[in-house]
Amino acid sequence: MAAPPSTLHETELVILAQRGDRNAFGELAQRHARGVLGVAYRLCGESQLAEDAAQETFLRAWLNLSSFHPQTSLRNWLYRIAVNAVTDMLRKDRRLAPEDVTEMDLTDPHPGPESRVTRDERSALVTRAVLSLPEASRAVLVLKEYEGLSYQEIANLLDIPLGTVMSRLNYARKRLKEILQPQLSVYAEVENA
Amino acid sequence: MPDHVNNWINAYLDGELRGSRLAQVESHLDECAECRAELASLQALSGLLHEAPLPDFPSAKRFAANVVLGLPRKPETPLGRKALEVAWWLVPVALTAAWVFVQTTLLLSDWIGAAGRLGLLETPASAWLTPAAPQETLLSALLSQTGVLGGSGVQLLRSVSAFFDSTLVQIVWQVSIGLLYLAWIASWWARLSRRGYGQPLAAGSRPQVK
Repeated sequence: MAAPPSTLHETELVILAQRGDRNAFGELAQRHARGVLGVAYRLCGESQLAEDAAQETFLRAWLNLSSFHPQTSLRNWLYRIAVNAVTDMLRKDRRLAPEDVTEMDLTDPHPGPESRVTRDERSALVTRAVLSLPEASRAVLVLKEYEGLSYQEIANLLDIPLGTVMSRLNYARKRLKEILQPQLSVYAEVENA
Repeated sequence: MPDHVNNWINAYLDGELRGSRLAQVESHLDECAECRAELASLQALSGLLHEAPLPDFPSAKRFAANVVLGLPRKPETPLGRKALEVAWWLVPVALTAAWVFVQTTLLLSDWIGAAGRLGLLETPASAWLTPAAPQETLLSALLSQTGVLGGSGVQLLRSVSAFFDSTLVQIVWQVSIGLLYLAWIASWWARLSRRGYGQPLAAGSRPQVK
């Protein structure tokens, strides 16, 4: 009797899925759902769009599974597809483009020296600040900051040189520090209290 | 005071430095308050970024079930895909081979015709190789017998007929093979542009927020 998919190693699941085993692919989708949904959401900032992009990611992965080498990282391959799926969706429907984030969206709702935005408001500001980054820098930041990929993994995943990963990450962080300066001060105060 | 290490602080924070570079940055951070402040601000930024939670997505199990429900037919097997790839790359080879075959056949046909006309092929076995003398077409015979066309008119009609029999056939063959080759190149470009799962991100592909 065949072992249940949940007990199999990822490489075995990939090989089974490449032979057309939908249950094996379902197990892979279950294992990587959180990561793909997370990357998609951090890139687009909209939960429904992120879910659609994640579905699209797994669909593209299924259709192109034969080109995937089981010895390489499935997670990174899926993230690469997810980054492109989100980009495609945002470009297809310009109404959803995060570039619509305006200066007003990034403004502290309670400005001034007494500013004490709530944690939720601060989270919303952080999300919008990330979305205001150019998509190329945003992708590098999300993959490093939220998914913890190494510079080399990001370079391979996005097909860019290592130096470009570093410069995009430096730019993204510098820009976020400028945008989120008031929130950073509050955060530092809270952390040090 | 040695030079600041601003360019390396991000990599230091991310644990990407090794060896002498790591030692250099660590040593500099021990001495430089400015760079320590920069490092602290980057650490605070990282903490702040992680404060933004993910929304409530469906459970991984439910999401995966939806994914499986939406899957189309079975994906191509690696072997089937490889066979298709090989067949695809053999198309231009096959077209080139067809062109060479057609050219050779036509050339040989011309040579045999010329040799036949010069009387060089007189053995009985080679008789079938020699093209027969241009036959009168039904139309030219009819026009000739009814007196509609004179001798020169019939000759012109035979020449036109011979042209259609040889040159035009050659042109049609070569143009067909050429068109098929162009069609293959066009579909090759189309495949390249819609390959796989999209293109990598381009730097600065959208304007920055001022």
